[in-house]
Amino acid sequence: MKNDKFFAKKANQRLLKRHQEPGSLAFGAGASAFLGAAVGLMAVDFKTWSVGAIPAAVAGLFLAEALAALLILQVVNRQIISGGEISRPVRLIGALLFLTIVNGNIFCCVAGLMLVKKEKNLEYQVGCYMLLVEILIILVSCLNIFKPWVCNSFFLGIGILAAVITIHAVSLPLVASHVRGNRADKCMLPLAVVLIVLTVTGNLFSLLLGLILLRKVLTKDDHISIGWVDVVKRLFRSQMAVLGAFIIVFLLSISICANLTFDYGIAVDNDYSLILQPPSLAYPFGTDDYGRCVFTRVIFGARISLAVGIFSTAMSIAAGIILGAVAGFYSGTTDNVIMRILDIFMAIPGLLLPIAIIAAFGTNTANVIFALGVGAIPSYARTIRASVLQLQDAEFVEAARACGAKDNVIIFQHILPNSMAPLIIRATLGIGAGVTAVSSLSYLGLGIAPHIPEWGNILKAGSAYLETNPYMAIFPGFAIVLLVLAFNFLGDGLRDALDPKLK
Amino acid sequence: MKEKFDKLITRAFAKPLYRAAVILLGLPTMLAAILGFLATRRRESDEYRTYLSAARDLAEKDGTLASIREKARAYLTKKYEHFGKQAEEAEFEKELERQIQQDENTEIAARVDAMYAQEGKEGRQSFVQFLCKALDNRGVLALSVVTSFPMYVLLLIFSNAYARYIFERLIMMVFVAFGVVFVVFTILHFASSSPAANVLGETATQEKIDDFNRVYGLDQPYIVQLFNNFKNLATFKLGNSYVGNEDVMVAIMRKFPVTVEMTVYAFLIALVIALPIGIISAVKPNTAFDYVFMFIALVGLSLPAFWFGMIMILNFSINSHLLPASYIEGNKLSLLMPALVAGTHLAASLARNTRSALLEVLNQDYIVTARAKGLSNLRVIIKHGLGNAMIPIVTVAGLQFGGSLGGSAVIEKVFNVKGIGSYVVDKQFLPDIPAILGGVVYVSIVISLVNLAVDLLYVWLDPRIKSRLKSQ
Repeated sequence: MKNDKFFAKKANQRLLKRHQEPGSLAFGAGASAFLGAAVGLMAVDFKTWSVGAIPAAVAGLFLAEALAALLILQVVNRQIISGGEISRPVRLIGALLFLTIVNGNIFCCVAGLMLVKKEKNLEYQVGCYMLLVEILIILVSCLNIFKPWVCNSFFLGIGILAAVITIHAVSLPLVASHVRGNRADKCMLPLAVVLIVLTVTGNLFSLLLGLILLRKVLTKDDHISIGWVDVVKRLFRSQMAVLGAFIIVFLLSISICANLTFDYGIAVDNDYSLILQPPSLAYPFGTDDYGRCVFTRVIFGARISLAVGIFSTAMSIAAGIILGAVAGFYSGTTDNVIMRILDIFMAIPGLLLPIAIIAAFGTNTANVIFALGVGAIPSYARTIRASVLQLQDAEFVEAARACGAKDNVIIFQHILPNSMAPLIIRATLGIGAGVTAVSSLSYLGLGIAPHIPEWGNILKAGSAYLETNPYMAIFPGFAIVLLVLAFNFLGDGLRDALDPKLK
Repeated sequence: MKEKFDKLITRAFAKPLYRAAVILLGLPTMLAAILGFLATRRRESDEYRTYLSAARDLAEKDGTLASIREKARAYLTKKYEHFGKQAEEAEFEKELERQIQQDENTEIAARVDAMYAQEGKEGRQSFVQFLCKALDNRGVLALSVVTSFPMYVLLLIFSNAYARYIFERLIMMVFVAFGVVFVVFTILHFASSSPAANVLGETATQEKIDDFNRVYGLDQPYIVQLFNNFKNLATFKLGNSYVGNEDVMVAIMRKFPVTVEMTVYAFLIALVIALPIGIISAVKPNTAFDYVFMFIALVGLSLPAFWFGMIMILNFSINSHLLPASYIEGNKLSLLMPALVAGTHLAASLARNTRSALLEVLNQDYIVTARAKGLSNLRVIIKHGLGNAMIPIVTVAGLQFGGSLGGSAVIEKVFNVKGIGSYVVDKQFLPDIPAILGGVVYVSIVISLVNLAVDLLYVWLDPRIKSRLKSQ
């Protein structure tokens, strides 16, 4: 039977759910414990039962931080249950969690940032992630210091990044205090412009924050909620989705910033004095059979994977929208002809169509984008066609038609904006699939040219040394999994955020 | 019986494609019927014309036509007034003329029909009516069945909803197969690399290359080659591959069972893992179990197959020597690892879909009703929940099964499985056009068959689909 304790527990849970802090702390503790355990497992060599010193230390650090977060979580929970409030000293102690950024533990760091401030608006949250992306990039770039030399533009790059971080750090308290609800103070306008300009580092959080500020500064009536800002707000409620967005933005940003802070030469030039070195501080992922730094290659590989994923998806979406909208809107013969042609493309299974296209036109990045894009058109066209068919009979479409709107106006201004939600979700997942596909193609020798640092290429080289130097195959694989997982997280989060049933 | 047959023919003639097919397949019957129809038509037309003029005279005499004209003018004037249209005289007259013509014709047609009825006649026959009447005669029917048997087979197929559905899908499949040949051949034909140079090597003389092109018909124009490929497909002779000169069909028949075996194992593994996880996650949503396993499923979905395969080889073959690292013919154990790798992806998406499908069903009102009735939890979940969630689950499972039949090229390459996927990939580098065409077409046909089987499974699972199919 359910006793009093059961109901007391339920009541406490409801109390805790009202606050954001316990959730983020628990997530921080859990994620860093998971990360620590994973690193710890990798540190152990099961053949000899020996433990690598550096990985073990890293694992220990993560586990210690997880423990710290867990302790703070206990205190916070007790305070909420007893008083319904988190006291100021505890919040300040929580700020100490921010220091965990030193070893790249963003989970605990976020939990600390969320704990330190009592009133958290959406802008503050976006700002926190924006700041974290850049700090993490500086940290990763600083791994280059252990190398025998750094590239010429290294200090310039670090300087620029430091300047950007300063601006962002200053803007964080500003946006936290000058935005209330749907209205932002007029003085936020220049800041919004600055933030949008700073997106050149690839930090999309900065762009997002700038756009939100801009929209809220220009809003006329702050009682009217802004549709897409609400979607962002719901998205930021899901820790996993934000984590996914964070990883994507981080990889995008680092693939841009790496041009300044990383030496492309180390990634492509052969160095026969450094062949097949195991992982060390100077070469965190070891070196490959030509003496190239695998870590640097992985960093430079991000941009190819991202570019192919994004551009091929963009291409198939553009074609899919046009074909699907036309097929759905002009039903009958037009629909039949388009869908039957797409059926043919859909009948060619899996990667075989991209493989045939690449085999025909040669292996280079543009062809890979084209091949993957063509392969994905039918599924997007089907998605769009289904929603167009559904909206065809909607009353607002009928109204538009009665007002004498032209077909293209009805399609592009009335139907398509209303069928975007499934498309956005599909596209997010599609980019992830594209990332896997391009590395699969490279692995088969049908993707990017072998000397170019691309994740599939690095893996292919690593597969030959699986017995002696497994790290060469393991680390680039982690990078792929991380990026694809990030897109899947984001796609899942977007699906929940865009779900009209929740609105 | 006869009535049913007439109805069948009428229905078949109502659909343009079937009409064409029936006329084409029953050409002898149709030719005879058309000649007969034209003869009766002439006789009937004379009769019709007399009735028509009689009806017109009568209508003119009793003033019906005049009143129609007046009414139309009044109606149109009012309409123009209402919309505030200041139309020109000519336009008004034109529209009036059209309106009058239309109303008069309706009136006269009604009168003609009445006249026919008065005299106990049926009026002018359509072609289908004539055909049905002609086939009333048993002798004619017998002759027709003998001379145009295919038409009756088609009508038989048309009469059964399932047979008709399957037949239509099979026709679609043939169309798609030809389309696939067209697309793939066109891509490969305009490829930048020439097969001759790749097969014969760099040292080949121009003479040798020309010779090679002549032997394989590569010197012919594009249209001829395309037509030859269509012919090959129609006769099930896929030609010989450029390298090794072996029959492509034989090679595919040797390779395909391996892929099927691997995929079936993968699918079984996926089912065993995914269904229970998906069901438990849906029954206990937002619990630790749900979060952990859905996270694992998402990770499984994100794992690139070739990397996961390599990690498996590293752990189970290189480090612990448990399983063979690559496929050995006849050794079932060597298929376990590729099946596991393929199964992980399958299981991940299957578990996620099972969860979301079941979760949606469990939120329906009839589940509350079932619980309120006092049914046991297990019964509600299995019978009411899972029974209704089956359609989306089966859809995804079918699509995934088909997809992994064709999409397992990467896994086959990692584990060195001699299946159809790695066969096609190996041949891409030349490109060995007959082998690629054969492989791709074969796989796409098999996938279409799997999809057809899944669609038929729907009918069995969902009575609503069954009734919709029958009412078509």
